[in-house]
Amino acid sequence: MTSTATAATVNGSTSPHHHHHHHHHHRYSSMGLRPTTLSLPNTPNWAPSFISHSHSHSSHRSHHSILVPRATTSSSSSSSPDTSGNNNKPPNNKKRNKNKNDKKKPQNQDQTQQTLPSSSSATTTTTTTSVVAQEEQQKQQLRLDLEDVNPVGLGRRSRQLFDEVWRKFSGLGQISSTSRADQRDALDALLIREGPMCEFAIPGAQNTTVLVVGPTSRIGRLVVRKLMLRGYSVKALVRKADEQVVDMLPRSVEIVVGDVGDPSTLVDAVEGCSKIIYCATARSAITGDLFRVDQRGVYNLSKAFQDYNNKLAQLRAGKSSKSKLCLAKFKSEDSLVGWEARQGTYFQDVVASKYDGGMDAKFEFTETGEAVFSGYVFSRGGYVELTKRLSLPLGRTLDRYEGLVLSVGGNGKSYVLILEAGPLADTSQSKLYFARFATKVGFCRVRVPFSSFRPVKPDDPPLDPFLIHTLTIRFEPRKQKPAEGPAAGVKQDPRSFKLILEYIKALPTGQETDFILVSCTGSGLDPTRREQVLKAKRAGEDSLRKSGLGYTIIRPGPLKEEPGGQRALIFDQGNRISQGISCADVADICVKALHDSTARNKSFDVCYEYVAEQGKGLYELVAHLPDKANNYLTPALSVLEKNT
Amino acid sequence: MACRLPTQLATPGKLHHPHHTKLSTCHGVLSWRRTLATDALCSSTPSSSTALSVNSHKRPLVTCTARTNVGAVNLAPGTPVRPTSILVVGATGTLGRQIVRRALDEGYDVRCLVRPRPAPADFLRDWGATVVNADLSKPETIPATLVGIHTVIDCATGRPEEPIKTVDWEGKVALIQCAKAMGIKKFVFFSIHNCDKHPEVPLMEIKYCTEKFIQESGLDHLTIRLCGFMQGLIGQYAVPILEEKSVWGTDAPTRIAYMDTQDVARLTFIALRNENLNGKRLTFAGPRAWTTQEVITLCERLAGQDANVTTVPVSILRVTRQLTRLFQWTNDVADRLAFSEVLSSDTVFSAPMTETYNLLGVDSKDIISLEKYLQDYFTNILKKLKDLKAQSKQTDIYF
Repeated sequence: MTSTATAATVNGSTSPHHHHHHHHHHRYSSMGLRPTTLSLPNTPNWAPSFISHSHSHSSHRSHHSILVPRATTSSSSSSSPDTSGNNNKPPNNKKRNKNKNDKKKPQNQDQTQQTLPSSSSATTTTTTTSVVAQEEQQKQQLRLDLEDVNPVGLGRRSRQLFDEVWRKFSGLGQISSTSRADQRDALDALLIREGPMCEFAIPGAQNTTVLVVGPTSRIGRLVVRKLMLRGYSVKALVRKADEQVVDMLPRSVEIVVGDVGDPSTLVDAVEGCSKIIYCATARSAITGDLFRVDQRGVYNLSKAFQDYNNKLAQLRAGKSSKSKLCLAKFKSEDSLVGWEARQGTYFQDVVASKYDGGMDAKFEFTETGEAVFSGYVFSRGGYVELTKRLSLPLGRTLDRYEGLVLSVGGNGKSYVLILEAGPLADTSQSKLYFARFATKVGFCRVRVPFSSFRPVKPDDPPLDPFLIHTLTIRFEPRKQKPAEGPAAGVKQDPRSFKLILEYIKALPTGQETDFILVSCTGSGLDPTRREQVLKAKRAGEDSLRKSGLGYTIIRPGPLKEEPGGQRALIFDQGNRISQGISCADVADICVKALHDSTARNKSFDVCYEYVAEQGKGLYELVAHLPDKANNYLTPALSVLEKNT
Repeated sequence: MACRLPTQLATPGKLHHPHHTKLSTCHGVLSWRRTLATDALCSSTPSSSTALSVNSHKRPLVTCTARTNVGAVNLAPGTPVRPTSILVVGATGTLGRQIVRRALDEGYDVRCLVRPRPAPADFLRDWGATVVNADLSKPETIPATLVGIHTVIDCATGRPEEPIKTVDWEGKVALIQCAKAMGIKKFVFFSIHNCDKHPEVPLMEIKYCTEKFIQESGLDHLTIRLCGFMQGLIGQYAVPILEEKSVWGTDAPTRIAYMDTQDVARLTFIALRNENLNGKRLTFAGPRAWTTQEVITLCERLAGQDANVTTVPVSILRVTRQLTRLFQWTNDVADRLAFSEVLSSDTVFSAPMTETYNLLGVDSKDIISLEKYLQDYFTNILKKLKDLKAQSKQTDIYF
């Protein structure tokens, strides 16, 4: 009988009988917490219905327990062991005046305590606590009768009453009162720690766990502080939890030991995190260090984070909203099926076509295991293209994705990506949209956001990714720039091309950034190592871009250790900035970017404002003055290019 | 009883009245000596005698260093002090914690001087500040905390329950002397508005004397006079009204231009970095001055419920002050109640801010008004109460 009652309370049965219980528990438990929240002496002697004064106090108290939910929960759990010790003692006959249900409580509780250790499960503990609290309440009520005639108790109570009045009274004479300790907790919660009244605090930040990589770096330690001030939960990834390192970090920061160079140590680090801020950088310019931290580290961590997201998604029996959708992967002969190479011309030039060299294109799987689209276009106005009707997995449409990522090996030519969109039933109504992308010599990943596609017919509506059904890669000899890089010396005919295709994937859409990477512009570096450092940094940036995570890459100018928020900042794309920036400002950008949708999938340079030299072009200039609701980031970033 | 009377006489006001405003450096030190001397006289209670004997013991040492080694720190080898390193004294207070938060957010390295106590101020560490234990009433604990510090921001005030002199005067003097001796580059001191006009109020007089003392010390300093904090009103009026408890108010006609401590902190740092303001004295006041009655009426309107106001005539406060002066254990209360002298006058605790705003380059629109502040408070708290009610309904099931 008793055990079923326990089970029912645990399971949260809604029968009226039990409901009655719940109310009791709830009320009593809140009363049981009173001693801890009020921090009054002689708590056991406190009687709720003793004098009319106490009535006002009980309302005061309940408000307190409401104002500080965290405090009450913690005190409930902490008080459970103490009170449970005392409360088995009162003899059962004390509850004679109680109703039948309440009578069973002590036995019930005794059983619970015998069979279950206090820490067995959270729910049981709460149940026990509430039962205990209830009983304590009964005990107090009983003791009250004795207290009525106890002069000591009376004296004590009147003293408390007097103290309260006295405190109020003496507080009157002051110009600005300092609140007392018992009030402080409640006020602190709202005004100082997490409340919306608290400067810097961000509502809901407690539910966001941010992993800071490089928490002891110049920027990292400021990032950690700023996150703490805003109420985030912070995890800090350190290589060694030395005393020196631990002392540097605020106490509530969860310290994880791991090395970005070692993927196996990162599994724990990303666990439970919803955002990552990467401010680690190689301590030396030794190639090995650079590779490990700046290049491989970013790759390892973004991979670990994606793995974690995918694992979470599997637990929810679905695809992660952060995982990419594979549209095509060219790893075997079979994967080429469905792709069709075609040719065409923009205009009919009968005379010219008789004399030109024509055009040709083929798509084949080579012996080296590569899918190669190659050929030439010698005709004026001609083009060749590779096309396929997409077959998306059941129930998937591209409207939940924001763009395409292509992994290709090119020779520096540019191509046109064409999407055909329209109702599947009637392809004659399909509309064409195009976007141009450039390749480098060698392999690279190209991000082409859907937002960059323009309708072929200018009057058509903007692309609706939901309707996309066919994808085409087109080569045309027009607008080809000479290739850059090492192969630039080799004379190339702009009319021939070779494109190795690895995969085409759709990038998931999202509102916010998932991964903030602090990179660098390269200015202010030791010239002898500049190339190596930049190479590693850029490779790290690249691996983040292709991860599918929402990213923000911040490239600050040379860092200065001075207070932030003092000078206007310049946000720019294109490696043109020349000034330095304070670490605090970079940290501020990191933290602001966490929830700023304009920061998603952007890379930008940032430095202090300066007067540009004549003819050097205009930069995006943003006044950055330290005022209260200073959101300089959104307007600054909204004008910058995405997917950079 | 008899032995308690000297304690009252020994309030600094009696010792060096601010009307003798021509304090030389020598005078400043002297007056401090005299304070200590009188203290030694009246050290009849065993608790204070130990503390004071330490004080008088250390006094020659501190004054000695103050005179000799002004350049000693500069001569000593070592890394130069970083301008971003600051020490906040009184960091756990209403203003102090906002100063700490602001400083941390702006990228300063913040060290907090905190009295050793059983429940340590963990929140400061959580924000990323370093906490060092020291007690202003024990001068020997101070120098170590100043090592490597560029700027000292002093927002400490004694607790209501302790003698007003220990921290607010003796401790401050020791701190300033240490700061001078150790080559602190800048000292920011928070004072009270109009403190020079009310020598009858011990705290205000002490603040005024400290202002003088800093000036004489030759430290690069900035004095900021404040009127009243909005945060104090929450505990005094807003919370009691919400909890339907009685609100105590006076019928005093005094008006106070309350200010948000967050604004104070922000302006302080702007002023601190402005080299033109070195050695200056600024007054920060809120946008509008309010009487107690007006504040209560505003709270009532915002909370949507009437307050149960108990109005205490100022005259009673004044009588109580006289009464409490007669008892040792209420002496501190008497000192604090001394504000009633100010309250009873028709004073306005406010100052025109236009010039200050211009000086700091701040827009007056960015300074929060009391209406807005309290409105924010009530909106948030009422919403929170509502949320929690809904939440407690849900959690009912689990009990």
